[in-house]
Amino acid sequence: MATAVSGAPKRSRSSRLELIGGQILAFVGAALFAGVIGGIIIVLYGENPLFVYATVLNYATARPEDIAQVAENATPLIFSGLAVAVAFKAGMFNIGVEGQYIIGMLTAAIAALYLDRLPGVLLVPAVVLSAVLGAAAWAAIPAILKVKTGAHEVVTTIMMNGIAISLVAWAILNPLKSTGEQSVDLRTNLFPGKALMPSLAEPLGLPSSVHLTLLFPIALLACALVWFFLYRTRLGYEVRAVGSSSGSAEAGGISIGAAQIKVFLISGVLAGFVGLNHLLGDKGYLGNNYEVGLGFAGIAVAFLGRNHPVGIALSALLIGVLIRGEDGIALSTELPTEVLIILQGVLILSVVVAYELVRRTVARRQLREEAVVEAAAPAEA
Amino acid sequence: MPLIDLGAAIALGLRYFTILYLTALGGLFSERSGIVNIGLEGLMIVGTIMGAWGTIEYGPVAGLLIGALSGLVFSMVHALATVTFHVDHIVSGVVINLVAVGLARFLSALFFGQATQSDPGIPHLNSIDIPLLDKLPLGLGAAFSNMSPVVPIAFLMAIPTIYVLNRTRFGLRLRSAGENPEAAETLGVRVAPLRYAGVGISGAFAGFAGAFLAIEINQLFREGQTQGLGFIALAALILGNWAPIKVMIGSLLFGIAQAIPLRLSDAPVISLLPEEFIRMIPYVVTIIAIAGFVGRVNPPAAAGRAYEGSAA
Repeated sequence: MATAVSGAPKRSRSSRLELIGGQILAFVGAALFAGVIGGIIIVLYGENPLFVYATVLNYATARPEDIAQVAENATPLIFSGLAVAVAFKAGMFNIGVEGQYIIGMLTAAIAALYLDRLPGVLLVPAVVLSAVLGAAAWAAIPAILKVKTGAHEVVTTIMMNGIAISLVAWAILNPLKSTGEQSVDLRTNLFPGKALMPSLAEPLGLPSSVHLTLLFPIALLACALVWFFLYRTRLGYEVRAVGSSSGSAEAGGISIGAAQIKVFLISGVLAGFVGLNHLLGDKGYLGNNYEVGLGFAGIAVAFLGRNHPVGIALSALLIGVLIRGEDGIALSTELPTEVLIILQGVLILSVVVAYELVRRTVARRQLREEAVVEAAAPAEA
Repeated sequence: MPLIDLGAAIALGLRYFTILYLTALGGLFSERSGIVNIGLEGLMIVGTIMGAWGTIEYGPVAGLLIGALSGLVFSMVHALATVTFHVDHIVSGVVINLVAVGLARFLSALFFGQATQSDPGIPHLNSIDIPLLDKLPLGLGAAFSNMSPVVPIAFLMAIPTIYVLNRTRFGLRLRSAGENPEAAETLGVRVAPLRYAGVGISGAFAGFAGAFLAIEINQLFREGQTQGLGFIALAALILGNWAPIKVMIGSLLFGIAQAIPLRLSDAPVISLLPEEFIRMIPYVVTIIAIAGFVGRVNPPAAAGRAYEGSAA
């Protein structure tokens, strides 16, 4: 019982290594399990699971542009995974990444369209800043409501998602509606070229159908920054303290409400980047055909990655492989691509379950070892 | 003109109420047993696809029951994850919602040959008129005539729910599992099976509500037809303080709020708003209600917490 209360800080080095090793093992085991379940569904559909999995892998890794495509798919997922994880470290659920990035796309579009006098060097940062501020403001509302009134962020952020979708629908039909000839398209005017995110396709010698941009290295940088924030700054420490035990954090002099609002704003800032690759790297306008669901996918990515920045980057790439594989499945098999969504779900649940089993096993063994130590030296009570 | 619309608006509000209240009552059983269930939306989605298939194959009564049964079966994933494996309740719920969308598309392709919808006009129950109320003047009678028989059933479900929760051994034990699982276990109550039961009931209710939506309201399966109603049901549950009658009032409020964009868009004041802003009304109402009333809510003490009992 004592170990359960004293918790992580006292964990010895060897048992930490054991835990990390166990988690990697758990991930592999869970992935195999998910593959078997997915395989059963595929067999029921009359296809060969090995062929399907090989197709997915082949489509994701065969050529350099396929790998670039995987990185492109992973870019928004890294940001949304980080956004979810940061909030979760403070014991909060940001289910509203979805609405926050949609608002971020809206405010980015406004900046791209109305600040067009700025030179490109300033315009791109201004557009990004605008996205980030919009998304953070959208995140601030549920955070403040939570701290001031106790309204649970899970419900309020979901409602904010619904409002964001309607707001963007209204904006692209009214103040931002394109002035061009094709008024059937529900979208804004095209952004000026200098507002777009610098592409990595040309420098890397890839075809222009790949929308890999500077945002991918920025996403990796964001992983490093989030790691530094969580594990090397005072606020990060406070955030983790609030998340692991709000009672002791408060007793330690940490203002829970203030820490929660700050971390939710940071989460919103990260959410602001989620829609940008789509907006500034691919489309170049905001239309009603924008990608939805990236916020919810972020929750999956965060938990696959154990809420750790490195894990998040890896699991975003893994999901990126699966998304790329959908094209392969659609082209080479009769299988509905939804199989991969089901596979993702099974994977997430089995991974989370496997982590939990490892944690329990390690904790139990540690408890036993401590019992042995205590039995050997029973002087203190 | 607005008064005639009012009858139609109330009729539509009552249909939304039915979806919300049935789903929220299910959520009530789950949360009272200690398991937070934000997967209600996904359980509803499973109910819509399986209910639509069921009614085409075997008629509307069977369709509703098949919807409920499939919600129950699918909810066992949530129970297994949260009760047995102590997965965070929110994470498991989110996964339920993600998988349900994929599953529904998969099944739709299998059943109807297209991923996103069935043919329209699937079989539904004969509608009924409520005696006396359907004769109300000023067009209000329209609200109570030509009604799906499931609507009054939803209201009546409050009675067995209250009875089971407060007057049966099962209800008492279920609540003890949600309030103080340690004490319950000390008294010889086994917490895990109770929580499985709570989640299973929530799955059956949400699946039934989804089947009602597909069969009785839209008369087809269509991707995205649940439109986040599962989450609004969750809000009604919180607003209603996890008590059946108060949840009924909350569901009525949100049901009417849902109907406003579709039936009251011509009413004074509201007609001045752009359509997209009218569509925000249910969400705004929910946020205000949750933020305004939440000081007085009192969730089950152990809801959302894993219980590592002796059997774990």
